[in-house]
Amino acid sequence: MTAGRSRPAHRGARRRFSAASPPWLFAAPALAVYALVVLYPAISGVVYAFTDWSGIGQDMSFVGLANFRTLLGDEQAMGSIGNTLLLTVAIVAVQNGVGLLLALGVHARLKSRALLRVIFFSPVVVSPVMVAFLWKYIYNPDPSAGLNGLLGLHVDWLGDPSVALWSIAGMVVWQYAGYSMVIFLAGLEGVPRELHEAAMIDGAGTFQRFRYVTWPLLAPAVTINLMLSTIGGLKLFDQIFAATNGGPGYATETLSTVLYKQAFVFGKFGYSTAVALVLALFVAAVSLVQVYYLRRREVTA
Amino acid sequence: MTDLLHEARLSRGQFLRMVGGLAAAAAATACSTRQETTATTGGGQATTELKFIGVADQKAPMDQLAAAYQKSKPAVRITASYAPTDQVQTSLRTQLGAGNAPDLHVVYPGNGSAMSMTQIAQAGLLADLSAQAWTQTIPAGFKPAFQLDGKTYIFSAGSSVIGAVYNKKVFEKAGIEAPPTTWSEFLAVCDKLKKSGVAPIALGAQTPWVTQLITYALVPSTVYAKDPTFDDKQLAGQASFADSGWRDAMEMYLELQKRGFFNDNPNGTTFEQQTSMVATGKAGMAVQVSAVLPDFRKAASSPDDLSMFPVPGADDANSVWIPAGVVVGLGASAKGKNAEEAKAFIDFLGKQENINAWAKAIAAIPLTQDASSSIDPAVQSFLPFTKDRAVPFMDQRWPNAEVQPVHFAVIQELLAGKSTIDEALKKMDEAYKK
Repeated sequence: MTAGRSRPAHRGARRRFSAASPPWLFAAPALAVYALVVLYPAISGVVYAFTDWSGIGQDMSFVGLANFRTLLGDEQAMGSIGNTLLLTVAIVAVQNGVGLLLALGVHARLKSRALLRVIFFSPVVVSPVMVAFLWKYIYNPDPSAGLNGLLGLHVDWLGDPSVALWSIAGMVVWQYAGYSMVIFLAGLEGVPRELHEAAMIDGAGTFQRFRYVTWPLLAPAVTINLMLSTIGGLKLFDQIFAATNGGPGYATETLSTVLYKQAFVFGKFGYSTAVALVLALFVAAVSLVQVYYLRRREVTA
Repeated sequence: MTDLLHEARLSRGQFLRMVGGLAAAAAATACSTRQETTATTGGGQATTELKFIGVADQKAPMDQLAAAYQKSKPAVRITASYAPTDQVQTSLRTQLGAGNAPDLHVVYPGNGSAMSMTQIAQAGLLADLSAQAWTQTIPAGFKPAFQLDGKTYIFSAGSSVIGAVYNKKVFEKAGIEAPPTTWSEFLAVCDKLKKSGVAPIALGAQTPWVTQLITYALVPSTVYAKDPTFDDKQLAGQASFADSGWRDAMEMYLELQKRGFFNDNPNGTTFEQQTSMVATGKAGMAVQVSAVLPDFRKAASSPDDLSMFPVPGADDANSVWIPAGVVVGLGASAKGKNAEEAKAFIDFLGKQENINAWAKAIAAIPLTQDASSSIDPAVQSFLPFTKDRAVPFMDQRWPNAEVQPVHFAVIQELLAGKSTIDEALKKMDEAYKK
């Protein structure tokens, strides 16, 4: 690998042939399948965003940018953007914070760490809809049941519009903190022990070693985690749909639930595609900006 | 990440064993599918397979009637699958949109939801049933639910009503002798129930469609009793939710909450919890549609404890009206290969004895009645109203699929104290105009 990287410049032409062409050939079948089942449907679907198609029947006419103009004036869709962003910020902050703490915990030389890793990771493999149903029991508004009973509270977790959005964030964090943990853990395993030993010899305490040795080297894991949880938060659908269906009122409506309802409840497939397109572009833009800034602060050991 | 993959190297032996395993698994699956295919065609007779997709409420009558039909016509096989309302809307609309509709499928009467007769018939996807004998007997008041431009596109076995499902034992314990017939009597009954230590009215407003039932129960008295042509005026733009008896109905809805007649946290309570509260005697009643009576009976230890009465939305018993809506039905796909066979099955459903059987299974009032029609004792008290003091469920004549979800959402907001009646009615009027 290292030899390949330091090849002299005059062999560039041959390198392009030997190193570039064959990989493309190898990837071609996969790319063809990908283009057929992912790219083509995705791009051909975009056409609907410029029509008034109802989702059934043949009646369809091109309406130009009308769907996008409707979106700008759609109070409910605009409100849902606010909810989407709040939810995303909450999930990104808490999920990664908890994930990092869990990773530091199970990275320590505990006897039960293998078991703990499995336990913390296990919610990730459960279907999101199942998680929502489970949490509907935990979020039982009855003061003697579920979380209320455990903490002695009287909160209507999913029924109170000012709490419901955070309750959803809570169940998402519960499910995916283990996922962030695994990625941080991979980062922690990659920190060379010599650096820690050197820092210790220099007299650095636990916090200082974390701050000046571990944290900078965790940067790639931070980048991946922030990006994945941001994308996940912006696109969140299953848990909301199963737990509150966007309610009470419009308190937990996000862009995903709006586009679902427009397509399948209101019968406005064209408009729904326009919302989906805006969501996709939004997610892409946020992720690109995020990766650009986070990549700049990455260092390697 | 890539380093992890590099380290997980396979030896050639391991790789070959893995591939061998996959091949074996594939072969096993192939065998099992082949066996299944032989089993289905093993009858020897050429069969027409009619595919039906319905909602959960239709399972009991449909299973029974499809079996009866197959006995009389062995060459036809009906394969049915069922899903809850919201899921059916998604999956079925996707299939309709993709052009592979099932031969028979659920259709909601009238207009106002994405799977309603008008919306699907307008897209040209429903077969015209007008030539069938039973369509001649559809009562005049129900025609807008069945017909578009004078042609019938949906079969439905009859109508259901919205009223209060109540637990007779709980009423007895609270010292209530007879169901109320005026609004003030209704409030007095709630008061007595509250004093006896139960929640007077169970409300599962977390399940969106449950939120609408109390308004639907009151609006016939507050709106239509005063102006039976309200729908036409609203369609013509001469009437609105905000300037009508809808405001009174919403105020009455909130009065029930203000007086503490609902269970705690209705927005955090589901339909299933609501059902069990009434069935187990933790609540006195629930405002519900008669089609779900079987659910309440299933949840009760003795089903006979449960009955229904009309919710009186007026202080004069003579101006109490009730909502009576055509129950969810089915239609035949216009474009399917088996359209003729599918229509023949619907013709069979239209026979009086089959209308009777369907209506009985879901506690509905049969579309047309003969000597053998039986009407569920729980809905007997509604019969005096059905002739001239009943109106279809409000959404069946709304012009688009958006008003109903807005109604769900504003009720949840009102119950949570996050909105006012003015704002709620304004939002509904806006959705109506879309």
